[in-house]
Amino acid sequence: MSTHTYLQGLVVEEEIHLSLSELCQACRAREEQINAWVMEGVLEPVGDNPQDWRFAGHSLRRARLALRLAHDLEVNTAGVALALDLMDEIAALKAQLRRLPARV
Amino acid sequence: MKFKDYYETLGLQRTATQDEVKQAYRKLARKFHPDVSKETDAEARFKEVGEAYEVLKDPEKRAAYDRVGADSRGGWKGGQDFQPPPGWDEGFEFSGPGTWGSPESGVGEGQFGANPSDFFEALFGQHARQARAQRRTAQARGQDHHAKILIELEDAYKGARRSIGLHFPVVDEQGRVTTQERTLDVTIPKGIREGQHLRLTGQGEAGGPDGKPGDLYLEIGFKPHPLFHVDGGDVYLDLPVAPWEAALGATVNAPTPEGSVKLNIPAGTVAGRKLRLKGKGIPGKTPGDLYVTLAITLPPAQTEAAREAYRAMAKGFDFNPRTHLEGASS
Repeated sequence: MSTHTYLQGLVVEEEIHLSLSELCQACRAREEQINAWVMEGVLEPVGDNPQDWRFAGHSLRRARLALRLAHDLEVNTAGVALALDLMDEIAALKAQLRRLPARV
Repeated sequence: MKFKDYYETLGLQRTATQDEVKQAYRKLARKFHPDVSKETDAEARFKEVGEAYEVLKDPEKRAAYDRVGADSRGGWKGGQDFQPPPGWDEGFEFSGPGTWGSPESGVGEGQFGANPSDFFEALFGQHARQARAQRRTAQARGQDHHAKILIELEDAYKGARRSIGLHFPVVDEQGRVTTQERTLDVTIPKGIREGQHLRLTGQGEAGGPDGKPGDLYLEIGFKPHPLFHVDGGDVYLDLPVAPWEAALGATVNAPTPEGSVKLNIPAGTVAGRKLRLKGKGIPGKTPGDLYVTLAITLPPAQTEAAREAYRAMAKGFDFNPRTHLEGASS
């Protein structure tokens, strides 16, 4: 048997907090763009100023989604924030629906 | 290579104004954007719409495209075999950098940006290649890559080691993009959920001579499972039960991704009842639950004995399932 190395990754959503520059790098976004979403409440980092910001792992998916919506649908920052809020709500409602007993 | 009619893709006349181009794109983008669309072929349609807009929104590219499209024999039609005539772009100057695949655009990246069509590459590829080549030299650290992989649900329950084939774009010094394949041996951690990402440090794009490589982010998805449906940490199973099991109660075997379990069906169970097996979903700090939806299945009445059993039931019950409908129709 050959000794085979398997790469060990970290689960972003559970094991990682991202700095501003890491988040920018990971989604290819500019700092100003991320800044604008923080101001709009789309992303909620911990920390008082941008150098100290730590983004929870789920911010990666959220930022990438925001970036796609902003670019592909030409939606402005407030529009992205609204779209993400509504998408969250739809996801929560769908999850609730699945837990209900099926209607006969 | 087939000619692509970008006007047709956006449902526009060739005389459309730039505002009309924008309006048509936005409407179609909202309809087909894979993040918000319910259409089945959303991803492919969105890619076509995006490519058409990439050309038509830019007056320089649009003019060049119009010149190719407006052939003296009456113009090209979408789907016709096409080769760009030599020197077609002579006299056209493209000012801004091509946005396809640029860091700001988000296009050419991620899950559904993928690569432009051959047709787009043939017309505007050189221009985009220059933009990419310029970017490449300026950057020291390699870019982070993203890829989506599909794993078995069982791997999330137990953890696993998997070899995964990945296709990834490589930009050479001339800015040409080619797709390469590599196999990555990855440990799938126990408890991973759909939509979560694994970060593999240093497995992204190679850096410049003095730069570090980028990271690779793998977005996890589950392969469709014949029995189970997954939502976050929760797992759903439809379990058929016989009418008498539902009526009288029973202990039956139910499959779970970890193996079979004994399940108590309470007496008086109605169709569609959901039983929750707490903590039997995907493991984790907060383990998910396994929901079992009971489906009452009638045995077929194909033999005389079976028909006799149904007749005995009919006699044994004073049962009309439609009492609540009576009086509703006069």
